[in-house]
Amino acid sequence: MMSFLDRLFEQKARGVAQSSSRRGMLKKLGGALAGVAAVPLLPVARADHHGGPAPEKPQEQGSDTDCDYWRYCAIDGFLCSCCGGSASSCPPGTEMSPVTWIGTCHNPADGRNYVISYNDCCGKSSCGACLCQRDEGDRPPYRPDKTNDINWCLGTASATYHCSAAVVVGVAFAE
Amino acid sequence: MVTLALRQCAIALLSLSVVPLALSASAAEVNKARALYHYQMFCQGCHTPDGSGNGDIPALKDFMGYFMNTDQGRAFLVRVPGSATSKLDDQELAEVLNWCLAEFAGVSLPVQGYAPYSAAEVSVLRAEPLEEIEQHRAAVLLDIVKQRQQPAL
Repeated sequence: MMSFLDRLFEQKARGVAQSSSRRGMLKKLGGALAGVAAVPLLPVARADHHGGPAPEKPQEQGSDTDCDYWRYCAIDGFLCSCCGGSASSCPPGTEMSPVTWIGTCHNPADGRNYVISYNDCCGKSSCGACLCQRDEGDRPPYRPDKTNDINWCLGTASATYHCSAAVVVGVAFAE
Repeated sequence: MVTLALRQCAIALLSLSVVPLALSASAAEVNKARALYHYQMFCQGCHTPDGSGNGDIPALKDFMGYFMNTDQGRAFLVRVPGSATSKLDDQELAEVLNWCLAEFAGVSLPVQGYAPYSAAEVSVLRAEPLEEIEQHRAAVLLDIVKQRQQPAL
């Protein structure tokens, strides 16, 4: 009986060995593991909230290519939404500055104030489209963290300014 | 030279095995929503949303807790211009510093715990903002490393 089972398992094992390779198995296993690992790494907006729940999304009203758009209350520069990007993303070929100046804007659509991060997009010459200067809450350069008069292309590979984005960070605390 | 000293300091500090105790700052009054808002408004623009810093901008994440090992270190976190000259009042500044320590300091917090900042302490310390920040920071960190390397009495 035992010799019968031995022969049976030996035949099956040889069959598997002849129809597959160890490298093939490793390849499939590696592919599966890499696929699992990639799932939580899909690009999500990590930059604008701090590990907790995502910021509440504001109700939108108006066009992000208009200087009057609510998020641009303190902007001074070319609107990235007119340059191949959007109100919160940079045009292709430019890099978003991680160092920003931050203020608040009132959203007329839902009546709330939001914290807005003005991120410059850098690495190409000035876009030149949709120049917008509103400056609400702008302070002189002796308050460098609250002025839009300086080039915020800091911490980027290139300091060449292209355009400005306005990223919603969260709802402002009601003091 | 300062950069080299800072690098050596950072390596020495990181090599110390520190396991933070339960957060002692929890005893302090911290309104998390308000502290987060103040961090976003007055700190995040440079120190980045998760406190990891960028290039020449120092990381708060897994590092700022080392400063809580000495009085000079505690004072440093308040006397840096971003803190001392900010628009926040003493209570708000103490709150956002305590919040940052809770959120970002992680493994860098002292093993023996630490006392959270009070408005009164912040008020005294911020009256003398630092000017030569890099040199002062390097000296403070070197002192902390030396102190940590002394055998316990």
